[in-house]
Amino acid sequence: MTKEAEHAIEVENLTKRYGDLLAVNDISFNVRKGEVFALLGPNGAGKTTTVEIIDTIRTPTSGKVTLLGMDVTKKKHDIVPRIGVLPQGFSSFDRITVRETLQYYSRLFCSMNTDIDGLIELANLKDKSKEQFKNLSGGLKQRLGIAIALVNDPEVVFLDEPTTGLDPRARREVWEVLLGLKKKGKTVFLTTHYMEEAELLADTVAIISKGKIIAIGSPDHLIESNANYLGLTLKSVDEKVFEIVRKMGFEPVHDNYRSIKVRVEHTDDVRKILNAIKDAGAPFLGMDLRKPNLEEVFLKLTGEGLHEGPAGGRGTE
Amino acid sequence: MNLRVVGANLVVRIKSFYREKSAMFFTIAFPIILILVFGTIFMNQDNMSFDLYVQDLDRTNSAAHLVNTLKLNGKFKITNVDPAINATQYAKDNKIDLVLIIPKGYESSFNQRIESNDANASVTIRYISDPSSASVSTKMQILNSVFAEINQRMTGKSPFIRTAETSILSKKYRFIEFFVPGIIAMSLMTASLSGAVNMNAELRQKGIIRKLSTTPITRTDWILSNILYQFILSVISTIAILLVSYAVFNVSLQINVWLPVFIVLAVFAFVGIGMILTRVAKEAESATAAANFIMFPMMFLSGSFFPLEMMPGFLQTFARILPLYYVNEGLRASMVFVDHMTALRYSAIIGAFAAVVFVLGVITTKWEDSK
Repeated sequence: MTKEAEHAIEVENLTKRYGDLLAVNDISFNVRKGEVFALLGPNGAGKTTTVEIIDTIRTPTSGKVTLLGMDVTKKKHDIVPRIGVLPQGFSSFDRITVRETLQYYSRLFCSMNTDIDGLIELANLKDKSKEQFKNLSGGLKQRLGIAIALVNDPEVVFLDEPTTGLDPRARREVWEVLLGLKKKGKTVFLTTHYMEEAELLADTVAIISKGKIIAIGSPDHLIESNANYLGLTLKSVDEKVFEIVRKMGFEPVHDNYRSIKVRVEHTDDVRKILNAIKDAGAPFLGMDLRKPNLEEVFLKLTGEGLHEGPAGGRGTE
Repeated sequence: MNLRVVGANLVVRIKSFYREKSAMFFTIAFPIILILVFGTIFMNQDNMSFDLYVQDLDRTNSAAHLVNTLKLNGKFKITNVDPAINATQYAKDNKIDLVLIIPKGYESSFNQRIESNDANASVTIRYISDPSSASVSTKMQILNSVFAEINQRMTGKSPFIRTAETSILSKKYRFIEFFVPGIIAMSLMTASLSGAVNMNAELRQKGIIRKLSTTPITRTDWILSNILYQFILSVISTIAILLVSYAVFNVSLQINVWLPVFIVLAVFAFVGIGMILTRVAKEAESATAAANFIMFPMMFLSGSFFPLEMMPGFLQTFARILPLYYVNEGLRASMVFVDHMTALRYSAIIGAFAAVVFVLGVITTKWEDSK
């Protein structure tokens, strides 16, 4: 059983049906021990169903899920003490303080020597430890939820949409905590619909859409194999420029106002385009060159175009 | 089952309760307020005095003597009405439900009867009454019995039929002694039923159960800790009710082994109903509404507040299918009447009911949020 030693999670032909709805459609993948694995997809893609089957909250319709070498449908009692879960929409007892909540969960696991202070520090909740749960902001609640998921020093941590509904700053603060977790070498199974989150945290990303996994690999690998280009944006250009670029054999598209976007293969192409514009004497106010990210990968794989996609209209960075 | 887990859960429950002031109010303060309010209202029921208006048209010593006799009866607080005014109009204007009129010539008729032994001499005492008043018939009954006694005495012979009263109770009890066990039963019901409903529904809605289902806590641990928590609350609220009843009303109630027995059985029965309701109603709000729908009729129909004999026959029959009835009557049997056989019988009935609903409740409480 060398596979068992290598893989924390093995999912084979997993399917989950709710009546007529096929939420998860025959998916298979493995999660290596010690890696951060992100299941990335839009709302309703089947992320939560998948993670909740793996972390024993739900039962599968068919297929086999092995967690730490154990069948999740048969060995719940042996699995539960070895995993930590932040469920979606995590909540806790309103009038119980941060410290008391951690103590409560550590008692549920009968962990005698949980380092409560260490967890409070990891989640950066030191000055909130005496605050009641109901008085915490969304980001603080999630950070407490992550700390709770660690009370039993689990081998695998499941985080179901840890930053959904948080403002960008709170999200970044949760990421800080997750990066700390990653440093500890835990196996982390993360679901998210934030591309940056997966890109920043994950060693392996599986993109899920409509119950199917459509791509899997490291973020770099996914980007390289699915979006091997650079995105050049030229701002406030003359109409002439569009023609110049088109005649060079590229496929420029109009962005809002007078910007155009061009996909290029190499930085060399950028130099050629800029030179051509300069030679024609056409003015432009600025440019931006960006490596594609998982968003482009996702949009390409799900067949949605770059501009008409639901996440369109992003600002350039 | 894991006692450490049960203990941890219990600590969280009790802390939450202690920090939630409205739960504190409804569990402890509310029954006490009921005791204080109803206890005060009915405290003087036994030596209650009625208002009685008397218009003495005769204005003689004999008439004054009659009024004095009525006064000595102790049931009446007598107010004299000016003989010059129209008593009917006076009663109407002042919303007086009963005016007693001693006619002119009372003394002369009285003397005629006593001194001349004239059997035909008599007086008519008139009642001017408002029949819509609730207390007027009671007043007239008392007055009639006073007059009957006077009439009887005037015959000069001692009465033939006398009455003697032997209470079936070892001692006389007041309304408050009847009321306190009813309030204990009511607070056992409201705390256990709405406690179980609110907690389970809220936990489900807030997704705490989803988190708990990924920890080693089992359904048995969860249910056991909830039962223990409700039991502790019930003991606290019962003690509070009893302390207030003893301190304020000096009740005389028998505290024996049946009290804890009924507390335990009632907690199981009503937590069981609560668990079933939680399963039937998906949302926290509808579960609470369903709990109220069950609790309020039960509170009024099963004799918590007033004796069942006051209700029509079909309602009395209906009361006998309500579990709260058996807790009420069982507690009264043990605390007021010290009737162990009745207490045993009712505890068996409520025990059987508790066993059934609790088992059903445990079966219907699904630990996984299976969607």
